[in-house]
Amino acid sequence: MAAVRRFLRRLANLVLPDRAESELARELDAHLALVSDELERRGMTRDDARLAALRAFGSVARAKDLHREARSFAWLDDIRQDIGYALRMLRRSPGFTSVAIVTLAVGIGLNTAVFTVTNATLFKGFPLVHRNDRLLYLTSGPGCCVSYPAFEDWRAQATSFSGMAIVHGVQRTLSDQSGFAEQYEATEVSADTFRVAGQSPMLGRDFSPADDTPGARPVAMLSYGFWDRRFARDPAVVGQSIRISGTPTTVIGVMPRGFSFPQRVDLWVPLVPTPEVRHRENRDTWFVFGRLRDGVTVEAARAEMTTIGRRLEIAYPETDRGFLPVVARFHEFFIGSSATSIYQAMLGAVSFVLLIACANLANLLLARAIGRVRETSVRLALGAGRWRIVRQFVIESLMLSAAGGFVGWWMAKWGVRTYTVFASGSGLSPDIRGTWFDNVLDYSPDFRVFAYLAAISIGTGLLFGLAPARRLSKLDVNAALKDGRGGSRGHGGRLSGLLVALEMALAIVLLAGAGVMIRSFWNVYTADVGFKAENVVVALLSLTGDRYRTRDAQTAFFDDLTTRVSTIPGVESVSVGALPGGGAQRIAYEIEGTPTLDDQRRPRLWGSTIGSGYFATLGVSLLSGRDFNDTDRPSAIQVLIVNERFAGRHWPGQNPLGKRLRLFRGRTPGPWMTVVGVASNVAQNDPLQPDANSLVYLPFRQAPRPDSWIVARTRVPPGTVSAGIRDEVRAMDATLPIPLGPFALVDRMADRYRYRAITGVLFLTCAAVALLLASVGLYAVVSHSVSRRTQEIGIRLAIGATARDILALVFRQGLLPSAAGLAIGLAAAYVVNRALEAQLVQVSPADPVALVASSAVLALSAVLGCWMPARRAMRVDPVVALRHD
Amino acid sequence: MASEQKPRVELLQGTLDLIVLRSLGTMGPQHAYGLAARIEQVADHPLALNQGTLYPALVRLEQKGWIKGAWQRTQNNREAKYYSLTKTGFRALKHETERWRRLAGLVDKLLLQEP
Repeated sequence: MAAVRRFLRRLANLVLPDRAESELARELDAHLALVSDELERRGMTRDDARLAALRAFGSVARAKDLHREARSFAWLDDIRQDIGYALRMLRRSPGFTSVAIVTLAVGIGLNTAVFTVTNATLFKGFPLVHRNDRLLYLTSGPGCCVSYPAFEDWRAQATSFSGMAIVHGVQRTLSDQSGFAEQYEATEVSADTFRVAGQSPMLGRDFSPADDTPGARPVAMLSYGFWDRRFARDPAVVGQSIRISGTPTTVIGVMPRGFSFPQRVDLWVPLVPTPEVRHRENRDTWFVFGRLRDGVTVEAARAEMTTIGRRLEIAYPETDRGFLPVVARFHEFFIGSSATSIYQAMLGAVSFVLLIACANLANLLLARAIGRVRETSVRLALGAGRWRIVRQFVIESLMLSAAGGFVGWWMAKWGVRTYTVFASGSGLSPDIRGTWFDNVLDYSPDFRVFAYLAAISIGTGLLFGLAPARRLSKLDVNAALKDGRGGSRGHGGRLSGLLVALEMALAIVLLAGAGVMIRSFWNVYTADVGFKAENVVVALLSLTGDRYRTRDAQTAFFDDLTTRVSTIPGVESVSVGALPGGGAQRIAYEIEGTPTLDDQRRPRLWGSTIGSGYFATLGVSLLSGRDFNDTDRPSAIQVLIVNERFAGRHWPGQNPLGKRLRLFRGRTPGPWMTVVGVASNVAQNDPLQPDANSLVYLPFRQAPRPDSWIVARTRVPPGTVSAGIRDEVRAMDATLPIPLGPFALVDRMADRYRYRAITGVLFLTCAAVALLLASVGLYAVVSHSVSRRTQEIGIRLAIGATARDILALVFRQGLLPSAAGLAIGLAAAYVVNRALEAQLVQVSPADPVALVASSAVLALSAVLGCWMPARRAMRVDPVVALRHD
Repeated sequence: MASEQKPRVELLQGTLDLIVLRSLGTMGPQHAYGLAARIEQVADHPLALNQGTLYPALVRLEQKGWIKGAWQRTQNNREAKYYSLTKTGFRALKHETERWRRLAGLVDKLLLQEP
């Protein structure tokens, strides 16, 4: 208690020093008055008494000082003094100060930005979800997805979770009194989803257990964004009925703003376990999530779920054998382990940049410290403690790093904003926003980001400040005062040489990393996808409503639309079909002449439904046979086109034309279909492996679909015909939504390698900054040493050294540490690149092009860094130099 | 004058606090000069300590809550800050006195034993 009170009083005195000070002055006056009164009474004159009183008292100033020290935090005063001194020192050399702050700001800013993104992606989880770290995501593996009965068993048997819910994403059409239809994202969830997530609606009521029982009255929960967009935040919408895919549904509530779980969601509806959903083999819900009970570890939950899974395997051998629960944390489930490692790699890259920045500053401060030897020796000689000297220097560097952190914070904010624009693709068409999590994740900084910023700012300040400070505090005062230069040249030179080598090594690691990342990106970017995406515009149409129920109506609609779009000026050719590189369906099949297998073992192919002219529109070549045409009616002989890969696999060395196969719908075989053409391979799911997937094409006329892409090749920029396509669709059916597009196919392609592009750009930025810092650092060290050795160079010249000798002298000093750094760095680069291997596409971690190119760049910059000071050294005039102090 | 001076007694760290406490304990409320005079009287030497050095000790004790100061008038109608012991101050005085006795006793014993 007493300690606390003392502390508080001292604090009060620190804040209000004037009160204590005037109180003390009054007390001292009173004291002196009392003494002189006493002395006067003993017979002294007033003046004598006054003087004697002062003598008896001792030094008033010292008493005040002691008093001050006792009542307040003296060291805080000292630090205030140190800070003032540091500010003056920094202000006196604005060049050095701004270089230091900018260097630090770049390093700290890069780190904070990357940490903010990593934090949002890996650690923060969903916004407005309670204790994200206690939520686990479950699916059954291998592969994906959970059957509803399995979920029910898990929920009933698992004791590790305090709650468990299931998520099933669907897209539906909404219409209400206003008449127009809108496609939106609905997510089917079990009724206790919000309770498990730990968030309740801001308006209306939560789902109740009755809502997800079969036969319940349909209800829906709105997201804030949707409520805002569609209902203008009208609270009266709660309780109203809206039509969802034709079904009247009551709105029961609105979730708070920003809550978007577990994807970008417009509204949530209960997942009602209909008999269809309750099939054990129907494994098509997205995932299950559960909240860990207090005190239960992830490992324990994992172990329990495995036990339950084994039990279910035995209980339901036909459907559940081979499927075990997979329990994952947020980032394991949504981001995946390879993406996790890319974030680690990015953090690693930016921390290298920060290290280089530190090394650079340490070198700059070392150089300055040498300039301040005399000042420091005077202070030491006058009795300053070594600790005080160290503290002075550390405070100076901490102030630099704090300023750097401040500026870096703004740079980081800017960087994160750029990243989110880039990553969410909002620079592109809004329809092709990328992966789900960019729309969900919250990139705003939280306490972790601020803690990180503070930690690296203080950490760097200590890191680059301590070395020069320690060196100065060990000065030999006598020697230093005599020669004024400190004399310990050897030690300082060695340390700065080491720092240069370190910078070079880190820079080469970053350069080599950026090199392989860019090579890898280039491989993805230029990979032959098997079709020509330039000048192609696409739009997805989804025929909903009674008008389009029949296959004839679907065929007629798309026929009509293709004809209409082909008349838009600038359009060269039009077709319909699934987009290349995704959109094919998995279908069981059987080739004529092969034995009929049972259901479980029947092979599956990827099938894509397309209209005639599809290959011409997308620039896919037809290798043999014919394209689909108008004669391929439903009543005619059933035909299909296979791709080269499919033909090669099933009929090697034979002519595939005329071969037959049939597809299965469930267990029912369809009619035999005849191969009428062979198309060249198109990259399906992985653009890097154009021949990985065998693919067959089915004619739209014989296998029409209610949803399909319309694909148009244009002679003009694809964007310019988008409005025309939209108009034609509206002219045919004003209420028909266009869920995706129209947009250029290349933009959608860009989506695929956007993450590679982002990491590539980041690595390149880091490498460029690192190279710049390292070469500036080298330049500064060499240049500084040349100016310190002007006299020596003068003597050398005077006794007959040639310009070449001087050149060699300077270059040796700069290039030796650079070469050492290069050698160490190359070895380290190989190790680091090995860690990046999972991210690399068709590039070896020891890619000679990347390694040689980055070494060359680094060597060149090292030579440049030495060249300028070397030229200055050669121009030294011996006569002037010898007089130089 | 100079010949009269005895060598100055350097006070041990912390002893001044005990002296102040003890003086206040026996004399009751007292101002700084009164304390200084009392100490000089006991020490039998007018220059045993600079009166100014009393002040840090007073602040320390006040911060510990052992004494508290209040402005009053002296008999000669001068204003002065009178310090008095608080309740914790009395306890501390007892405690510190014991501690001092133990320490002094120990040092005494050591000094007697060593040749």
